[in-house]
Order: sequence, then structure tokens, then C-alpha cells
Amino acid sequence: MSEFIYLIPALTVLTGALVLMFMSMYESFTVKNFIVVSCIFLFIAFGFSLSQIGEAYSVQPYNDLLNNVLIFDSFSNFFNILLIAGTILTLLIGEHYFQHREYFKGEFFSILLFALFGMMVLGYSNELVTAYIALEIASFAVYIMVGYNTEDSKRVEAIFKYLVLGSFIGAFYLLGVVLVYGASATTNLSELSVFINSASDDQMILVYIGLTLILFTFLFKIAAFPFQSWVLDVYRGAPMVVTAYMASTFKIAIFSFFLRAFLQDFGLTLDFWDTIISVIIVFTLVFGTWLAVTQKIVKRMLAASSIVHTGYLLLAFIALSYKDGQIVNIESAYATMFYLIAYLLSALGAFGLASHIISETNVRVTYDDFKGLAKERPFLAAMMTIFLFSLAGIPSTIGFIGKFYVFTEAINAGYAGLTVLAVFATIVSVYYYFKLIAVMYFYPTKQECISVEFNDKRVSTYAIAFVAILTVLGGVGSAIVFFIPALNIDQIIILAQTAVQSLFIK
Amino acid sequence: MSSDILSFIIFLPAIVAFGLMLTTRDVNTIRNIAFLTTTVILALVLKIYIEFIPGEGMQFVTNVPWIETYGINYYVGLDGFSLTILMMIAILIPTSYLLLWEGRTKGYWINMLLVQTGVTGTLLSLDVVLFYFFWEVMLLPVFLMIGSYGFGEKVYTTIKVTVYTMVGSLLMFIAILYLGVAYHAEFGTWSFAYNELMKITTIDYNTKVWLFLGFLAAFAIKIPIFPLHTWIMETYKNAPTGAVFLLSSIMAKLGVYAIVRFMIPIFPEIYIEFSVYFVAIGLFGLVYFGIAALMQDDIKRMFAYSSASHLSFIAAGIFSLNEYGINGALYLIIAHAIATGALFLLIGLIHEETGFKTIKDLGGIAKQAPVLTFIFAIMLFANVGLPGTNGFVSELLIIFGIYEFNHTLGYISATTVVIGASYMLWMFQRAILQDRPEGSPVLKMRDLKIKEMIGLAPWVILVFLMGLYPEIFINKFEPTVTHYLNDILHIGASK
Repeated sequence: MSEFIYLIPALTVLTGALVLMFMSMYESFTVKNFIVVSCIFLFIAFGFSLSQIGEAYSVQPYNDLLNNVLIFDSFSNFFNILLIAGTILTLLIGEHYFQHREYFKGEFFSILLFALFGMMVLGYSNELVTAYIALEIASFAVYIMVGYNTEDSKRVEAIFKYLVLGSFIGAFYLLGVVLVYGASATTNLSELSVFINSASDDQMILVYIGLTLILFTFLFKIAAFPFQSWVLDVYRGAPMVVTAYMASTFKIAIFSFFLRAFLQDFGLTLDFWDTIISVIIVFTLVFGTWLAVTQKIVKRMLAASSIVHTGYLLLAFIALSYKDGQIVNIESAYATMFYLIAYLLSALGAFGLASHIISETNVRVTYDDFKGLAKERPFLAAMMTIFLFSLAGIPSTIGFIGKFYVFTEAINAGYAGLTVLAVFATIVSVYYYFKLIAVMYFYPTKQECISVEFNDKRVSTYAIAFVAILTVLGGVGSAIVFFIPALNIDQIIILAQTAVQSLFIK
Repeated sequence: MSSDILSFIIFLPAIVAFGLMLTTRDVNTIRNIAFLTTTVILALVLKIYIEFIPGEGMQFVTNVPWIETYGINYYVGLDGFSLTILMMIAILIPTSYLLLWEGRTKGYWINMLLVQTGVTGTLLSLDVVLFYFFWEVMLLPVFLMIGSYGFGEKVYTTIKVTVYTMVGSLLMFIAILYLGVAYHAEFGTWSFAYNELMKITTIDYNTKVWLFLGFLAAFAIKIPIFPLHTWIMETYKNAPTGAVFLLSSIMAKLGVYAIVRFMIPIFPEIYIEFSVYFVAIGLFGLVYFGIAALMQDDIKRMFAYSSASHLSFIAAGIFSLNEYGINGALYLIIAHAIATGALFLLIGLIHEETGFKTIKDLGGIAKQAPVLTFIFAIMLFANVGLPGTNGFVSELLIIFGIYEFNHTLGYISATTVVIGASYMLWMFQRAILQDRPEGSPVLKMRDLKIKEMIGLAPWVILVFLMGLYPEIFINKFEPTVTHYLNDILHIGASK
């Protein structure tokens, strides 16, 4: 029983997905029922994950049954909390969107929970093939969610593009696994790590090629250059809430596995990719920035800017190791994890708020349509401003602290040049984020965008407000606001540290 | 408790502003509450001013951990420099509230309060990250003010000024991070406090120059020093009076202050080595902006150039490496803030009442508004530096300082001051004194109301008090200047 407790969060989510699936066979349930039921399961899973927070542990329960393919530690628990929280917030923020779109049926929520299950297992994976299966469970669920409304031609295009490219890149992953297996006769990460430590240079060639192919999948999923071409169309085509989910939560799940793999097992090989990733970062930043500047549609601008954020994340990732294959700069792992939290909050907030606005009016699409929002809906505009500030890394938001960590660690690891480039990307990002703020505040409302029945008092608004408060508290911390027991920034870092340290428990 | 007084001063306006955001009271009530808040702050600052002991270094210090993992502290305190500027801000803001006519919306006053938090926080922080935090926060309300209440192409202006200042700030941000990392590498712990960063010895010369320039970029854009000035023309022309007042009278001065606070202690040798260039650039800016001001037709643009011209002079004084120059620069910061602040507010009133902005359309104001003309003239003379006003004392000190620094530059600085006098007096003659041309419609211009006179009275008093008895003010910050020269720069105050 004591071992079983570690499995509970994932199993709860899986049970929830199955229950929802059965529920969806009956017509009598409304969308609201489905949201409530999914939230119940998610909160149970969230509670169990939270109960294990703060202690460093690493266990592999039911060894004869699971055969070492899954590993349960503080690291995966940390990511589980983020993933579940991201899913809950997505559901709550999208509550109105779901209810006002005819095509959302019960099975959508079942699929959402399956996606979450896949991501959670990805966080637990200690084996390349298991990781692949988990990744595909999550990916396929996301494919379906992207193309959920088949009557919309944009959706069809989006799902087609994503499905074909995603499956194609999945084949690279499998080929990579085969090559690694060919060299080392194992796909288990722990055993691979032993092999890498003792292998000769000749034996390593195949491993390097294999891991590079696996890395391609990683870069594709997080939308780094040159695999970013799908992002704009897929993010644009997908239902807004799904876009929010993909941009924030799904990206975190991808990072959970690759951070684990490179921190724990492949650390020695990391400087092999040093130059490649440096070049990729440069192109990701430049290309993402260029894309974001040229967009006229707000959703596409946010999608393009998420490419730039991938660049920042990779910058923290590359700072992990810089000489002799030793992970010298373990702090940058904390920086990556902190940035993931910061990005989860701000991206979810920004995309979610956009979806909230769009769901009621249907007309706010381009920059121009957002004109005068501040006069019509001052609080929504204020919250949007907070999220955009956070994405741009303006002080007093969590995005600033996130950037602070990432850039500090990158300089610390000797990547001062790349940091300067990242800062220039930030400067340009100020332009495209502030343009939206300027549009919201400084123009009169366009006549055709005014909607009378806009109702602010609903779950979505409160969920977004909650995220906005977290975004500000995470940036200000408890030292500046003395009298309010606020979210302590150090506390988050300590959690991240505990999580990373649990990787090295033998 | 006495050490928390600074935090109270910093955060009171912001707390009040958040409270006001949630109320639905009418603008007058909100304006009164905002005004009351600033007077409370003024009272507290007066208390600090009296309790402050010159020459005792940092006082009223609060130092509590903010982000412990990276050694970032909430570290505030004040010395002679900050005290003088704090006093200036505390006096200028409440009085300006009495003279802002355009603030007919709730958001205007909320933004004014938020700016005060940002400005005071910037002034009092001694940790560079905390400083950066406030430095950026101070910009955001101004951004909203220009965009919401500005004129003309206000959105373009807003984006331009924001991107400009952000470029500078982020370059400084890289330099801050680099210093932090260097400190960590040398001492094994993280710290971003300015007095800790002073101890770094491992950075090589070339890197130090780059870091110095990174910091300078942020401050030079804000001041602005030639050639980073291109944003101010549109901004001063299109921004509402309140924002122009804040930008020119207060924020530009914080740029100068930050050079003294952070760049001199952290990079003393670079500061000494580069000083000759900056004095020269400062004097060039003085002449360049002066001539540009001479050619302006738009009255707000003329003042924008005039302001830039004086600020270049302040920058030249800061880099003059001796007590005269630095004292004079600090003194001119105050004097210029008072004179330019008042002039911008009066120009704002004239614009509000008549709708005219160009000098040649105006004229004949003296007859209709004698009190306004009188106060306008006093501020103008202070700005030009007539003996008996505070402008005279400060300009004289700076010229002495530059002369001691380099004789040639000293002669140049003494002669260039004339340019300022010429464009100011010429403008005064054309826009205010001279009658309107025959046949043109009569200008409707009201005189100052009692409330506005009360608002301006302390400024007029200060102009003469500072001009006639400079010792009572200089005594407060002189020991700090001596400390900087003797202990940080090692070049001796008496030189």
C-alpha cells in the first residue's frame, strides 16, 4: 500500500478519463457536468501530488510488475503538480468557451484527461520506449483536440499539418531508439547512463546519432527552429483553449522528460550538442521574433512569441553543462523549472484571457479588434496587461524573475553572447506586446466589436483573475509586500531544488 | 520603526492608488485623496530631513532578504544625495497637483500616485536589482498617461518612448547580471547590493568598459545625453503636462542621480578615465540643444530642447571630478527641477486656455495675466541663471568645477551659458510680453487662481532661498560628495 500511494495521481487521472468516457455515452449530461466531474478527479490527483511535496524521494514501486520503466520521485511530482494545475486552470478558464460551442461534447474532456495522463507518464518515464508511448498518448489526444471541430476548415488544416508532421517526427524518435539500442543493447535510461560512462568513442557514435534523432523530436515538440513551421497554423487553427493548453502545459511535459534524461543520465553527452543548440537558439530567437513582429492576428502573435520563449528555455537548458561533460551549472536546471512555472502562468493567462474575450464576442481577432477594450472591460484589460508584462519580462511580474534567473545562469555558464541576443529579443518583444496594450488602452472602441451581453461574473473570469494575482505575487514576493503572506519566490526555488536533487538519489 | 519610514514613503502612494482603483467616487474626491497622500509624504520627508545627520553615511536603512537564493535584498536607505532629491520630489509633486488642469479622469490621478511610488523607490534602493525593478515600474504609469491623455500621434509616441527607454534598461540589465555573476565567481555568494559590488576586483578592463557603457545607456537615454535624445521631442510635444513635468523635472534627474549612486562607486577608474569625454559631450549637448531651442517655433518643443540643454550641463558637472562640479550639478538638479517644472506647468495652462502652441501665435499674455507673467519671469530668470536665483549658484559652481577640471572646457562652458539666456528671453518677449499683431483675434487668457498661486508659492520661495543662502542646502549633501571623492575616487576633495 505504501508503494501504491505514488501511483495514485496518475491512476486517478486515468480513472477520471475512463469515467468521463462512459459518461459521454449518455446524452443527458451537460457540458457543465463534464467540467465538474473532470475537476473533481483532477483536484483529487492534485491533492495527492501536493501531499508529497517538499521531501526528496525517489522510488520505483512494484519492481517486478513495472520492471523499472517508471520512476517516481520529487522531480516527476513537481512536474505533475504543474501539469495538473495547468489542466485545471485550462478547464476553468475555458468554462465559458466550452459551454458556448456546440461541438464540445463529453468525450472532449475524456480526451483532455487522457492527454494529461500521457504527460504525467512522460514525467515518470525511465525508459525510451515508455517515454515514446507516453508522448504519443499525449500527442494523439492533443491532435484530436486540435481538430475537434471538423466543420471548420482551419481546424482541418491545422490537425492535418500537425498530425502528419508529428507522426513523421515520431518516426525519427523510434529510429533514434533503435540506434541507441543497437549500440548499448538497452533502452532503460539508468542502464544507458552506465553504458555511456564506460563506453569507448567508437561505441558512442551510434548513441550520439540516436540521441540526436531523439533530440529532433524534442525540438519539434517545443517548436524550436527549424521545426517551428507548424506552430503558427496549428495554434491559430486549434480552439483557443486548446492553444492555451498546448502552449503552456504540453511544453512543460516535454521539458519534464528531456530535463530528466539530460540531468540524470545523458549529462556526459551534453557538450556534444553545445554548438548545435547554440545555433538553434540564435535562429529560434531571431526567427520567432521576426514572426511575432509581423503578425496582425493576436492569437498568431502570441503563438509566434511562444517560439521566442522556447529560445529562452533552450538558453537555460544549454547552460546546464559547459565543460568536460560535467554538469557544472546545476542551478540552471532550477532556472529552467522556474521559467516553466512563469511561462505556464503568463501564457495560460494570456491565451486563456484571449479565448475568454473571443468566446463572448466572436469578433476580437486582430490587433484592431482589441481597440478600446480597456474602456469597455477595464478589469479584463488590466489582467491582459499583467500577462503581457509578464511575457515581456517587466519587473513586478513573475516573468521578470524567470528571465532574471535564466539570464543570470546563462551568463554564469559563459554564454554572455547568447544572453545579449536574448535580451535584444526581449527588447523587440516589448514592441509587440506593448502594441497590444496600447491598442487596448488608447483607442476608442470599434462599433462592431461592442457586445452588450458580455458577462464578467463567471468562473472563467475568476480563474483568470487568480492566475493574474499569482503572476504578480510571483514577481513581487513577500519581501516587498511585507504585510501580506505572499507566494515566496525562494520557496518555489527550494521546491525546484528538491525536485532536481531527487534525481541523484541512488 | 524609524527605519521603516522609507518603505512607508515608497509604498503609501501605490496602496492608496490601488484603493482608489476600486472606488467609484467622483474625480474631485479622488484628486483630493491623492493630494492628501502626497502632503502626508511631504510631512514625513520633512521629518527625515530634520533627523538626518550629514556625513554619517547611509541612514534609515532597511535591509531584508527578498530573493535569498540570489542574495537579492530589499535594501533601501538614504544619504546626502538621495535626501536632497527626495526632498525635491516631495515638494514638487504635491504642489504640481494644484496646477494640473487636465486631470479630469480617475486614471490620471491613480497614475500620478503610481509614478510617485516608482520614483521614490528608484531613488532609495541600494540593491541594483531592486533599483532596476523600480526603474521599470516607474516607466509604466507614464506610458499609460502619455497614451491615454496625450495629444497628436500619442500612440506612436508612447511606443517610441517605451521601446527607447527599454533598450537602455535592458542593456543595464545585462550589466547588472554580469556584475552579479562576477561577484559570485569571486566571493562564492550572491549579492547585488551596490556596496558589495564595489568590491569586485576580477573583471578585466575591457569588460568593465562595456559594463560601464551598459549602465550608461539606461541613464543617458533617460537624461537624455546627446545623441540619445531623439525621443524627447515628440514625447514632450505630445504628452500631457503631468507626464512632461514628471519626465523632465524628476525622472531625468534620477538618471543623473543613478550615475552618482551606482556608476561612480562600481566603476571609479572608468569614471575618472572617461570623464573628459563626458564633460565634452555634455558641453556639446549644451550648445547643440541650445541652438536647437533657439530655432523652435513650438513652445513645448523649445522647452524640451532647453531642458535637454540644461541636463547636458548637469551631466558635464557630474563628470568634472571635483567638489565644485558635483555639488553644482546636484544643486542644478534641484534648481532645474523647480524652474522647468513650473515653466512646463504654466505652459500647460497657457495651452489649455488658449489652444495655441506656437510662439508666434501667442503674445499679449502679460496684460491679461500679470501674476502668471510675474511668476513665469521669476522661473525664467532662475532657469537662465540670474544672480540671486538658485540657477545662478548652481551654474557658477559647475563652471568653477569644469574650469578646475580643464581650463579650456571651463572657458567654453562659461560662454555657452549665454545661449540659454538668449532663447529664453527672446521667447518670453515674443510669447508673453509683446502685443498681438493688429487684426488678430483677442487671446482669452485667465490669470492664476488663488489655489494655483499657493501651489507655486513654495517654488518661488525656494528659488530665492536657494539662491541667497545656498549653505543650508549644500551642507546636507556636501559631506557625501567629499566621501565620494576621498574614499571612492581617491582624488581628494580639496583639489
